[in-house]
Formats: sequence, structure tokens, C-alpha cells
Amino acid sequence: MQNAIGQDLNPAQQELMECYDRLARVLGDQSDELAPFEQRNALKALAALWQVANGLDMDRGQTYHLGA
Amino acid sequence: MTTESPYWNPRHETMARDKLEALQVRKLRNLIEWATAQVPYQAKRFSDAGVTAEQINSLDDLKRIPFMTRDEWMQGQLDHPPYGPILAAPEESAIRYHLTSGTTGKTPIRVLDSMKDWEWIAEMWCYGFWGFGVRPSDRVFFAFSYGTFVGFWGAHYACEKLGCLVLPGGNMTTEARVNQIMDMNATVVCSTPTYALRMAQEARSMGIDLANGPVERLILSGEPAGSIPATKKLIEEQWGAKAGDTAGMTELGTIMMFECDHQPGGAHIIEDHYIEEAIDPETGESVAYGEPGERVVTSFGRGFIPVFRYRTRDLVLKVPGSTCGCGRTFDIYEGGIRGRVDDMKLVRGTNVYPRAVEAIVREHEAIDEFQIHLYTADGIRDEIELLVEVPDANVDAGALCAELGKTLAEAHEGLRFHVKQVDNESLPRFELKAKRVLDEREIVGGQGERKQA
Repeated sequence: MQNAIGQDLNPAQQELMECYDRLARVLGDQSDELAPFEQRNALKALAALWQVANGLDMDRGQTYHLGA
Repeated sequence: MTTESPYWNPRHETMARDKLEALQVRKLRNLIEWATAQVPYQAKRFSDAGVTAEQINSLDDLKRIPFMTRDEWMQGQLDHPPYGPILAAPEESAIRYHLTSGTTGKTPIRVLDSMKDWEWIAEMWCYGFWGFGVRPSDRVFFAFSYGTFVGFWGAHYACEKLGCLVLPGGNMTTEARVNQIMDMNATVVCSTPTYALRMAQEARSMGIDLANGPVERLILSGEPAGSIPATKKLIEEQWGAKAGDTAGMTELGTIMMFECDHQPGGAHIIEDHYIEEAIDPETGESVAYGEPGERVVTSFGRGFIPVFRYRTRDLVLKVPGSTCGCGRTFDIYEGGIRGRVDDMKLVRGTNVYPRAVEAIVREHEAIDEFQIHLYTADGIRDEIELLVEVPDANVDAGALCAELGKTLAEAHEGLRFHVKQVDNESLPRFELKAKRVLDEREIVGGQGERKQA
């Protein structure tokens, strides 16, 4: 996996990005299947992991449409 | 590995300048794209200036974007209350509301942040705390009132993120704060520079020896004084701790610069999240490294309110990051925020900058508090007096005032300062931004013009 400037991510960084992408997918596609505690904690986690994505130069856009 | 790094984001903070600039260009392009799609007001500004995201290929292209002023921001709020036409996301996405502190005496600016933006706000503070040596084992006390002014709010959340023990010191007297700092063995204290001195005064009166207490670091913010060498030296001596300056603004939600633990006499700009320009305030042209200019900021982090080329009115002097030995490539504002473009007072033809006056006053440790008072004498003549509190009865206050008056005059083309001792505790004290200039002159002209004696 490479970032927006063509650098390879290490395995740990890749795992974090996979977590972010999965969270974003669940919150985008299956949010109505989540209980309040699941949805709101997932949003908190997404907001935090967005900082990791941003710091790794992975362009993941904004998160407002997901509620974060 | 992470805890051993002196940098919060090692790759970005030590990135070669050409790569860093490429990163800024990419983020700028993304932000223009986002704002064009989401904020009709910004889209019109870009359209009027003939700017599209695709045209941004270098930092020089930034100059195609028009400046934005605080007046425009405020007018936008008045025309489209309560936030103005600048939001890029629906209000219901917000989790925080804050206001500017009102230092300039105008309508406060209202801002909103989402969950992700609020995390980013804390993230910026993490650069500063980590860079100044704060670690998870620290106990951090906040001498802060926790109101609508954003102040240290983001710093509080940053310390939670770092894993520090956070000691929130809102709604407390100064005495209670000093007691809690000592009782809880706080290792870090966050406050304005003025309030750090105020707490030191209070500790002295309580018989507490702060210099031999638990505090190892102070994180200062909210006033230029955190980078005035004499003020910083006084704070460091009184607390027996290192003092690191930071600066931020509500319009960004957080800090944009921090002093690293090498203390190079200035603060690093967080350049992977901002583009900071220094311009001539009259012509709007960029100034070179080492020349004073007005700060202009473009921020990538807060998608809720995209900020492009915002004229801050802050005076700065930018020097290359290589002037610091810490290894960061982020440029430095030498001397931090040096004041405001409109801070200057013209007194009988002489420019007087409050920061320069404070730098001289703080050389005299016997002075606890001071105020610069401007008034009109005999209905025609501008006068400036410096009111000082000298609480130690063993100090020859008369001689001190005379010496101070002489030094101030020498530093101001011979301008006469009337230096007067006033009663102890008679001058105002400040928890947030200090206001030590009282201008009571009868006629105030435009652009700082004054009638001459």
C-alpha cells in the first residue's frame, strides 16, 4: 500500500489504514444496523484514525457525510 | 519506538523542504476542490479570481487566491447569521461551538467543529506538547477558565490523547490553583504568560517556593509575551521550569506554531498542516526570511471552515527551520508573535510597541505588574506614562522608576515616559489575554495618526 506521494506504508501502518477503511465502510453502508453505542464509538474511532490517515498522507477526503 | 521519538510526526517534521512544499501544494489543491464544491461563497471568490484546483502547481500559485480579512469574516456573519457563508458541512455535524476572545474589541467570530476537526485541533497541540518534551507520565495542570473562548480546550484534549494525567483548573481562585499544582505534583502547567507570573506572585505571598516545586515545564499561549526573552526568563526563574511558547487562533481552532525543547528563540510553524506567509501589510507582497511582516494563514485541517490566505494582523519574522538544531525542517517565527500590525501607538511622532516596552519592563524583576497609559495633556499634547507596582519595600522604587524612564526614552528616540509607582494590587490582573495598554487620548486619527505637540 502506498500513500499519495508514492511511499510504501509499513505493515503496521497498513493495518491501521485497513481499520480506517473498514470503519468508514461500515459507517457509510451499514450505519442503520448499528446500536447507538456501536455507531457513536465507531465515529469517535474514525475521527481519531482519520488523523493517522492524514499524517500518513493517505488522501481519504472528509468525514462529515459519515457523521464525524 | 514511538515514545523515543522527539517528534510527534517524525516523517513530516523532518521532511526535506521540496517534499514538504509538494505536500502543501497537494493539500491546497484538495482544499480548494472541497471548498469549491461545498461553500458557494468560496466558490465565487475562486471564480472571481479565476482560480481552480487544477491550476495549483506550486506554492507561488497560492498568490492567485485573494486575501480574506477579519472584517470580511465578520461582515459575512452579520449578513448570514450566525456563522456566515463559510461552513462546508451542515451545522448538525458539529460537536463544538467557540468564539474569538474579542481582543480586538469587535464582533466575536463564531466557529463550529465536527468530531474529526476536534480531533485535529487536539492533534496540532500534540505537535507542541510532544515537541516540548511532554510525555504520558506527565501531570498537566490547566490554569484556564473553560469557557466559549477556545484557548486551552484543544490542549486539554491533546493531553488526554497523549495519556497524561489532566488536571483541569477552571473556576478556581489563583490561590486554589497554586495549591492544586503543588498538592497534585503537576509537572506541566498551561497558562498565559501573564497568568504564569500572577500565579508565581500568589505562590510567593503564600510562602510557596515554586522554583523548587514539581513543575518542570510551562506551556504558554494567548499572548506575545511567551516569546519575549525577558518575560520568559522571569517566568522560568520564578517557576524553576522551562517555558515553551505556542500561538493559535480561534479562526483556526488551534495552534499553528510551537517552541521545541531546543528553545531556539522562536516557534516552529506546523507546516504540514498550514501554509504561513509573511507579507508587507501595506503592499500585500511577500517579505523575505528575516524581514518583519504580517502573518497570513491557509489551514488544511479544519474542513468545516476552510481558511484561505487569512490576514491575521499578527507581526512575525520568519527564519528557516535550519536555524534550530532540533532537526525539524519547519520554518520558525523568530520571537514568536511579535505583536499586532495595529498595536503600534504613535506618541509625539515616535512609534511605541507595547511588546518592546514589556521587554524592557521585565528586565526589572522588582516590578510585579505594569500598565502603559496614554492620555492628552492640556488638551493638545500626547503623553505616555508607565504605571508600575513594586511590592518589595526594600527596593528603592524611586531610583527604579528613574532608571526605567531613562532606558525607555533611550529605546524610543528620547520620548519621555513618565514612570510612576502605584499601589500594590491596584492594576488589573489577567487570566486570559492581558490588556496593559490604556489609551485615553482625546483625539484618535485614522491609521494611527495623532496630532503632534
